[in-house]
Formats: sequence, C-alpha cells, structure tokens
Amino acid sequence: MASQALKTSQPSNPSQIPTTAQTPKASARTARKSAVRPRAKPGAVARAADTMLGRGIIQLLAVAVFFLAWEVAVRAGWLTEFLVGAPSGIWRVFLASMRDGSLPVDTWYTVIEAIIGFLIGTLMGSVAGLGLWYSAFVARLVEPFIVAINSVPKIALAPIVILWFGTGFVSKVALAVSLTALVALIAAYQAARDADPDLQALLASMGASKNRVFKSVIVPSTLPAIIGMFRINIGFALVGAVVGEFISSQRGLGHLIYSASSLYDLNTVWVGLFVLMFVGFLLYHVIDFAERRILPWRQVITTGQVQV
Amino acid sequence: MTAPEVQLSLDGIRKSFPGKGGPVPVLDGLTFDIYERDFVSIIGPSGCGKTTVFNVIAGLLEPDSGTMTFRGEVVPGLQGRVGYMMQKDLLFPWRTVLQNVMLGLEMKGVDRAQALDTAREYLSTFGLSGFENAYPKMLSGGMRQRTALIRTLIMDPDILLLDEPFSALDYQTRLYLEGVLLDAVETFHKTVVLVTHDIDEAVALSKRVVVLGNRPTKVKSVHEIGLDARSPIGARSDPRFSDYFQTLCGELEIQTRQRAA
Ligand SMILES: Nc1ncnc2c1ncn2[C@@H]1O[C@H](COP(=O)(O)OP(=O)(O)OP(=O)(O)O)[C@@H](O)[C@H]1O
Ligand SMILES: [Mg+2]
Repeated sequence: MASQALKTSQPSNPSQIPTTAQTPKASARTARKSAVRPRAKPGAVARAADTMLGRGIIQLLAVAVFFLAWEVAVRAGWLTEFLVGAPSGIWRVFLASMRDGSLPVDTWYTVIEAIIGFLIGTLMGSVAGLGLWYSAFVARLVEPFIVAINSVPKIALAPIVILWFGTGFVSKVALAVSLTALVALIAAYQAARDADPDLQALLASMGASKNRVFKSVIVPSTLPAIIGMFRINIGFALVGAVVGEFISSQRGLGHLIYSASSLYDLNTVWVGLFVLMFVGFLLYHVIDFAERRILPWRQVITTGQVQV
Repeated sequence: MTAPEVQLSLDGIRKSFPGKGGPVPVLDGLTFDIYERDFVSIIGPSGCGKTTVFNVIAGLLEPDSGTMTFRGEVVPGLQGRVGYMMQKDLLFPWRTVLQNVMLGLEMKGVDRAQALDTAREYLSTFGLSGFENAYPKMLSGGMRQRTALIRTLIMDPDILLLDEPFSALDYQTRLYLEGVLLDAVETFHKTVVLVTHDIDEAVALSKRVVVLGNRPTKVKSVHEIGLDARSPIGARSDPRFSDYFQTLCGELEIQTRQRAA
C-alpha cells in the first residue's frame, strides 16, 4: 500500500524532470547492499537467540542455575542455612503461608498501600508540575523550596508520618505519597519546560490561547517523560509502604519481613522479598502496557532502523 | 493600470536581541509593503533576520519600534490570520498526518466531519492519501514538508508565511512542490511571503523580490519580476529569467564582499 501511494505522489509530468541524476545513486546503493549480504555478520548467534522465546529460555535457565547453586551450597555446608536460607525452605514457607492465607493478605495490603500512594502522589505531583508551566514567575519563586524539600531523604520523615497518621493504612499511603509526589512534580515540570518552543510558537501564530497550547502541546509532549517517571515512582511507592510497615504495622510484606528477620527466620524474609520483587516487576509491566496504549506514536516500527 | 492594493505594510520595524555586550540589533528599520494576492520573496544573507521578520509578522515577537498596518488598521501582530510554515518541518510527533493537517481547522473550531472531508481532499491533492494514519516519524522529508504545507494552506489564512519551505528537498521534489504551491495560491487567491536562500526559486515564483542587507538589516532593494509563466519550470526557461537572476546575484554578492572587508 505504501509504495503505491508513494508512486502517485511523484511529479505528474516526468518529461520535464531531470531523472538522470537519480540512476547512478540508486544502482550504487543496490550494489553495496548485495556486496554486504553474503558475508556472515558478527554476533549472528546473539541475534538468533534474540527473540522473545530465546531470551525467555536463557533468563529462566539463569534463574534455575542460581537457585540450584544456592541449594547445593547450603546442602554441602558451604553456606549456613541459618544465615542465608535455602530455596527448598523458602518454597516450603511460601506454600504454607499461601495455604493459611497470610501471604496473600500481607501482599494485598502492601500492594494497595503502594498503589493508592502512587496514584495520589503521582497525580498531585504531575498536576502541580505541569501547572508551574503556566507561570515562570511562580516556578522560579517556589524552586528553592522544592529543591530544599526534595533534598531531605523522605524515609527520614517516616517516624513523623507515623505520629501524624497513626500506625494503620493511612500512614503507609502518606509515606508513599511523600516519596512520589516531589519526583512527579520535578519530572513533570522539567518535561513541560523542555516542550518544543517552536510547536508552541506555531500554535500561537494560529491564534491559540495559553490553555490551548497547554492542552495541545504541553500535555502530549510531556506524557513520555511522565510515564517514564511512573516507573520510578511505582518503586518509590513500594518503598514507602514497606518502610512504613517496618516501623509499625500488624500487616503487610514489610511487617512480614521485619518480624521474620528479628526471629532469624531467613526463609520467610526471602519469601517476602521475592513477592515484593514479583509485585514490582508486575506493576512495571502494567505501566509498560499502559505506555504502549497511551503513546502509540512512540511505538512506530523499529525494524529497519539502524542497529548500532 | 490601477495601483495594487496594500494588504500589509511594515513601517520602520526595529528589533534587537539581548547579547553579551548589550543588545544586538537585528532588524534596523524595516519598511516594505505586501499587496493583496502578492507573491513576495525575501532573500538576504544567512542570519540577517529573515525568520525574525516572520516572527514579528506572525505576532510571536514584539518589535522594539515600528508599526504594522493590516488592511488599513494598525495591528500588533497577525496571530490567527497567518499560515506560518516554519523553517523546519514542524509536525506534532504524536499526531498522525491527518491529525496534523486538521490542527488549524480544530483551532478555528470547524465542524469535525467537514474538517475531515477537507483534510482528506487536500491530502489526496498532495499525493498523501494512504498516509492519513502514519506518524511523522514514518514519513520521508518531502512528505513531511508536504504535510506541513497542507497544514498551512488548509487554514485558509489571509497571508502565507513560508520560511524556506523547500530547502531540505531534492531538486525534483522541489520543482514539483513549487508547482503545487503556485497552483494552490492561484486557485485560492492567497498572498504569499516566501523566505528563501535560493535566488533561482525567488525569481521563478515571485511577483516581487525583497532583498535584505546584512545585519542590522534594512531593505536593500525591491525588484519587480515580470515573468508571467504559470509554472516554475516555464519561468525558468523564460529568456528574461537569467537577467533577473544575475541582478539579484549581484545584489547579494556586493554584500558578501562588504562582509569580507
Ligand atoms: N530568540 C533569539 N534570541 C537571540 N538572538 C536571536 C533570536 N532569534 C534570532 N536571533 C539572532 O538574530 C539573527 C537573525 O536570526 P534569523 O533567524 O532571523 O536569521 P535568518 O535570516 O532567518 O537566517 P537563516 O537564513 O540562516 O535562516 C541571528 O544572528 C540570530 O542569532
Ligand atoms: Mg531563518
């Protein structure tokens, strides 16, 4: 279809068009291509394995080898199970806590705290950051404060947050918000400032209002950066939830890890960590999926692009 | 013969940009007229301020002094009345070809179904049908510039400001698009102001050529081009073509020598 449409777009009266210049270049190009093709390219093995399936097999293999080595090392006595745990023990704890329902409940709490914290913090931060685009004056005014607040390690706020919001659900969400909001604000503001000034000028020349420029240029051009920031923030939200649970909680993966480690129950600690890892991994891919849906223009075919 | 009616007149436009050692004057009292249905080319040495003139006319930059008069009325700028095609093919990467082309109509609040019809019609005229849903990234340079040109034409503005619209194209496509532009301007009775660094193009397309001097820029001279060929190729084969070409070359050459001195 593409080539056909291209053809119709050619100049309508070819008799008047100098065509001679095109031919040598075109033939040179085909000559070069055919000269390259027969040669075996370096890295051919890597390229053959570089498919979804190929990569998956290699990755699974690596994981299997890792756990096998771990198990063997524990059984052979090179590692003390008391200090590092063992895959077989981890698996047993996992099955048991799945059966009595405690693991799903803990996971559910942590995930919900993180997601709600992520949503509130990211939304507030993004809106504020984009809003700063409207007034360079206000932006310059608040900049030192943002920098100052951002330079505080937010984890250090955890005790205060617990004091203010109690030991329940809300304090974990609040901690996740405090970790994500400023990241979102800074990322959104930076992206809005980097939005192509020429696109804004073009709209202005068409008589667009500032709101219109915001809607048609600023929002779409900041979306990639904002969604990129989602990835970072989902991790931060999990950190907020887990740290909150460390400090004081009766539930959640943070609580599970913290209480198990104080009992030297390493296998349970590992279960908590692996579940956290899995949750983070899953959420990351949810965002990946959302990105592909929201930014179709960034997904244009990458085949045929130069591989460096 | 009646004198042509003035559509836009620039009078003593000055503009300087802040530089390290104080303001750097770029436009130094620019004065010229653009007539109704005119086709004016602006040529001048690189960096002399051609794009700056356009930005002033489009209302994106405020001149330090001087006035602009549009159809007898003093205006600060022509936002919303110009179709400005910028020096680089400035398409919205997140919009498809069709959505890019429809941008101007959206801005004007044209009914969506009607806007779609108009956009499709333009796309097929310019040989872009089949690419409605392609994103700019997937287009060739020539296709991008055609899309930008359609976006400019489709808004039906009073004045078209084209800043080196074809500079990135090969000669072939360029001749073709020059023809398309001339046809479109003829059909829709548009006023065109074209910035180009190509004297050949200026002579072939324009009714008048405004030559700008080195920075700080003044209008050096205005040349009437008396070729009445209907196509850019016809114009180039006119016997008077080379006379105009020589004259304009001469104007620019003097300036390069001055700069060297
Ligand atoms: N926003 C700006 N701030 C500071 N200086 C500027 C700005 N815009 C343009 N200039 C300066 O003004 C001068 C003229 O720029 P302009 O882009 O108008 O030139 P031009 O004639 O369009 O050049 P070209 O033919 O290369 O496109 C240049 O020296 C440029 O550095
Ligand atoms: Mg320019």
